[in-house]
Amino acid sequence: MSVANTIPKAAAVLGIVAFAILPTAGLPAFYDSFFYLVFFWVSLATSWALLSGFAGYFSLGHAAFFGVGMYTTATLTTKADVPFLATVPVAAAMAALLGVGIGAVVFRMKRLRGELFALLTLAVTFVVATIILNTPIDGGAGVFMSAVPMPHIMPTQTGTIYVLGFLMCLATLGITWWVAHSRLGMGLFAIHDDEDVAEAKGVPTFRYKLIAFALSAGIAGAVGGIHAMYVGFLTVGGTFELTVPLYVVLMSVLGGSRHWFGPAVGATVITALLYAFISGGEAMVGRAVVALVLILAILWLPDGVVPAVKAWLKRRQRPVEEKHHAEVIPVVPEGPRTIGTRHILEVRGAAKRFGGLQALGGVDLDVREGEILGLVGPNGSGKTTLINVISGFYPLSGGTIAVDGVQIGNLPAHEIARRGVARTYQIPRPFVNMSVLDNVTMAATFGGPLRNQSEIRDEALHWIGFTGLAGKEQALPAELNLHERKFLELARALAARPKLLLLDEVLSGLNPAEVDNAIRLVRAIRAQGATIVFVEHLMRAMVELSDRVAVLNEGKLFALGAPREIMRDPRVVSIYLGKAYAA
Amino acid sequence: MSKGMGASRRRTFLGGALAATAGLVAAPAILRAAPSGKPVRVGGTLSLTGFLAQTAVIHKIASEIMVEEINSRDGFLGRPVEFILLDDQSKPDVARSLYEKLITVDKVDLIQGPYATAPILAAMGVAQRYGKVMIQSSMGIPKLQTYDMAFPATPFGPEPDKSYPNVILDAMATLSPAPKTMVVLTSKFPSAQFMAQGMRVEAEKRGVKVPLYLEYEAGNRDFGAIAARVKEANADFLWVGSLGLESNQILEALRKLDYKPKNSFHLYPAPGPLALSPDGNLVWSSTFLEPDEPFMSRPGMKKIAELYKERATKANLPYPIIDAQAAGMVSEWQILEQGVNGAKSLEDKQIAAWLKKNVVTTIYGPTKFDGLYNHGAPAQLIRQVQNKEWKVVWPKDLAAPGVKLIGG
Amino acid sequence: MMPSATLLGQALISGVLAGGMYGLLALGLSLSWGLLRLVNLSHFALAFLAAYLTYEMGTTYHIDPWWSVLLIVPAMFAIGLVQHWIFDRFKVNELASLLITFSFAVMLEVGIQLYWTADYRRFETHYATWSIKAGPFYIPVLELILCLVAGVLAWGTWLWLRKTYVGKALRASAEDADIAAAYGVDHKKLAYLLSGLGAAYAGVAGTFIALIATLAPAQIWAWLGVVFAVVIIGRLGNPLGALFAGMLIGASESIAMAILSPAWAPVVSFSVLIAILLWDPEWS
Repeated sequence: MSVANTIPKAAAVLGIVAFAILPTAGLPAFYDSFFYLVFFWVSLATSWALLSGFAGYFSLGHAAFFGVGMYTTATLTTKADVPFLATVPVAAAMAALLGVGIGAVVFRMKRLRGELFALLTLAVTFVVATIILNTPIDGGAGVFMSAVPMPHIMPTQTGTIYVLGFLMCLATLGITWWVAHSRLGMGLFAIHDDEDVAEAKGVPTFRYKLIAFALSAGIAGAVGGIHAMYVGFLTVGGTFELTVPLYVVLMSVLGGSRHWFGPAVGATVITALLYAFISGGEAMVGRAVVALVLILAILWLPDGVVPAVKAWLKRRQRPVEEKHHAEVIPVVPEGPRTIGTRHILEVRGAAKRFGGLQALGGVDLDVREGEILGLVGPNGSGKTTLINVISGFYPLSGGTIAVDGVQIGNLPAHEIARRGVARTYQIPRPFVNMSVLDNVTMAATFGGPLRNQSEIRDEALHWIGFTGLAGKEQALPAELNLHERKFLELARALAARPKLLLLDEVLSGLNPAEVDNAIRLVRAIRAQGATIVFVEHLMRAMVELSDRVAVLNEGKLFALGAPREIMRDPRVVSIYLGKAYAA
Repeated sequence: MSKGMGASRRRTFLGGALAATAGLVAAPAILRAAPSGKPVRVGGTLSLTGFLAQTAVIHKIASEIMVEEINSRDGFLGRPVEFILLDDQSKPDVARSLYEKLITVDKVDLIQGPYATAPILAAMGVAQRYGKVMIQSSMGIPKLQTYDMAFPATPFGPEPDKSYPNVILDAMATLSPAPKTMVVLTSKFPSAQFMAQGMRVEAEKRGVKVPLYLEYEAGNRDFGAIAARVKEANADFLWVGSLGLESNQILEALRKLDYKPKNSFHLYPAPGPLALSPDGNLVWSSTFLEPDEPFMSRPGMKKIAELYKERATKANLPYPIIDAQAAGMVSEWQILEQGVNGAKSLEDKQIAAWLKKNVVTTIYGPTKFDGLYNHGAPAQLIRQVQNKEWKVVWPKDLAAPGVKLIGG
Repeated sequence: MMPSATLLGQALISGVLAGGMYGLLALGLSLSWGLLRLVNLSHFALAFLAAYLTYEMGTTYHIDPWWSVLLIVPAMFAIGLVQHWIFDRFKVNELASLLITFSFAVMLEVGIQLYWTADYRRFETHYATWSIKAGPFYIPVLELILCLVAGVLAWGTWLWLRKTYVGKALRASAEDADIAAAYGVDHKKLAYLLSGLGAAYAGVAGTFIALIATLAPAQIWAWLGVVFAVVIIGRLGNPLGALFAGMLIGASESIAMAILSPAWAPVVSFSVLIAILLWDPEWS
């Protein structure tokens, strides 16, 4: 393990040092420029991936941020005589501001579809370009920067540009590496896979998307600021070209847009390829060859080069017996029922309307600490809607909800998750691109109390073992069967150490043996002191598990009491089986 | 160098290496004076791919013809010339890095400028840093040429936005009745917009009113509404700062409104399509020369025009006739040839010094570089479509024999 | 200065008719995007290939566009099938389709440039500038025909999707391929048909491009932004929507050109797009 970690680290350090001393190696100045352009594309493609690769919000508007950066630097240096280097942070800030502005509007939209975001950002590019073209910022004449002095970081101008590009690239990769390995990155990856679930697990999705957008746009802006100096003469047509966003996408996807280093690989490959065919005789054919290479690469390496190489290395490595199984034995003895007097959940007059449809019409419900409350009712009675308003997936139309004495009725879902509410989904919704371990780790990170990384890892392994998924830590959800995926849902919910656990039909679709298994598991969960509200159709499980049963009908609380009494209540039977039967 | 010619001639015949360079040169030329020795390498880029590619192939053909021509004479200082052409993909950042490659990696002896303002300015920065002479033919905004060893191969003059509008106004004044109003319509392409703004100012100075001045986005697709505005303004003259096929589109859009401007001028149109268009009859355009007298009797012009026609036809170009576009490249090579051979040196400083002091004979006639931005006197002319052919009509002394400006 | 009613009316007419071209180009794109979840950037390259073929047949062999279109459309249909074979064989997703078709478009662009050079081409016909006078207004005939053709294609496709069993299955399978299977319809065959149809529409659009617009290889990319906007405004997979959106954008651009500086026109059309999307995020 240590060797596997040191080799890439040593390579990275060597690479950085090699590139840092390259300008002093006496290579022809062309290489300064060539490597600058590689750095330029690496930075641009990587910054795109920060939002679009990590969080999955596919932007076609990268030229807008890049262009705003270019014109900020051009305007400040030529019209206000600001020193070039001082304009670069301003360029970054302007672009980040534009990104946050767009994000603040579009990320408020529920169900923002991917292609819509792509088109909106593309449209913004055209609008920004047209404004710059028709105002004194450019006016159509272009901005000529030849009189702007270049700082003397290096003896030659190309050396200075090289160093600036290199630092920019290093900073971009550093930021991206940090994001990919931080809480923010974990949240962004979760957003990529399933934004609603991410929010329910405690990820502040809106804020994270805005941060990612600001970083992505800000880096693009800074890159643009430096590039303005490299190009020297800016035109709107040349700056806001469609090829910029397309190349950035191409590079990221070729390299692997979900890996922090993927875009860098893609950008290097494509830039090198473009320079492989510059001679006048072969330029056109070269362009076609580059296009063909891209088609083949995307067809055979749909996830990108870096993930493909990683997978290949993993296959080649002898499977090392890593000790990552939890020490905890999943069998937990059932203790005495200790139902407290404190109300963990207090629902008062909870109402939810969808347009004209009253899904919940004023529900009152208290759940005591340590209690298991079964929630039943015919289809459309509002069970899942109640789960959804408690977990914050839907905002309340009326009434209040308090968890452990704290009002949560109007909080966003991630705040509710932070206050100790966890839920599962009837149809499991794991993060499909994350391993079982990452799925659970993510839930422990965002849902539970603040802990350090190794504590979180132990916690995650504990719950994976608890739910019987030990040995599948590195598996992807697609490799699990339905039974295992349901248990993964549970492990994720438990890893958040919830005060209140909302289970939505965990038993549906399981065979009898699996149902027994699941019932044992729920008991074990309760034995650890959790309070549980669960929706279930299976009467056997309802009777065996719940302390009390609440019956919903037509969005209202219909009956509430001990399970066996409720099941015998003719009114309850009638709503389930029809009035005729009860009569 | 010239003294060693006898020896070098023999070497050419013995060593076959140069056959490739001089391959297409006619045998008599070789007998007359075959350059020999290590080739002089001249590097340059053109936008062979990308959105500027429309004209690159014209420049490429002109360059090839000129390199052969020069090699069929004395080459550069008796050495053959080799042209290293790279593709800048219509991108200034690529152009910049490729000029750095040509100068620092390929170590070319001399450079030749690219095409279009943005790549030219990118290349000019590099040339300046390495002290290379750079000759370019297509930068329509001379004031941007701030480098003292950059030379224009096309005689725009230092301030074409002031000088050329007056050429047009002079020509307009000879029409009867003389136009009193003018619509100025231009693409927001930098060099076109630059001229349009000048046209507006100069016209009003001379009492021609400009009731409508419109700028449209470069690459505008639909001209219906613009045409409706032009028609409504109904001026005596229409001045269009167009590129490519925009003029065809504007004139067609006007025709669809049953409106034909009495007289119209078009700045940088694609010459073939406009001349052949039914709407193109009698339209005016800018030029520096056409394959007619008096230009055809300039030294070498006839042969170059014939060669150009032959090669351009072979390359499947729709308009295989030499015009100002190709002539610019011809002029670039003529200037470089005379600069090198005149200064008797491949040193950029000496070439530049020689060019500034002497008169160079190009396809455009005697050219000087002693003015502002290294420009000499302006020589921008007016041509008109007559019987589907472009004919120089103004100034009168350069008009094709028997051809006169015809008012619409 | 207040523009006259004649000017506004004329701008509206030209704008709506010019928007027909946006709609026609958007049609095929909208179908493959909406119903097959494939974003086909090479649609524009195919349209230009068709335009160049129209030009070539018209100028070299003197075949009238109204005849050459009969050859071009089946050829484009075949290209659409081949393209779809690749998508199908490699199970290409939405994102990958964007990149693959971009690369394919670059290859087509190179091919066009190698054969026809990068220089501008213009296909002259004697009817390109015909127009009908209606009161103070002029209605360009070619654009009118374009709009009629686009209208027939859009309406026909709309009917096919709305009213026939096959069409309904297609729309259902765009939501969920399993549902399509439940319809008992061979979704794969239908996808091929739809791909071919999309490319065939590019062929029709190309014929009109040859007659109306500028031919140069780089022009392939000139239409991309605005047509994408049209596809979204018209709602994905809705042929009539694409046509109406095209006309809406065409008209708004045209009106903007009539009353503002024409260079501001792109702001208007893209602001319409942004406004619509913000007003109703579920729009597409």
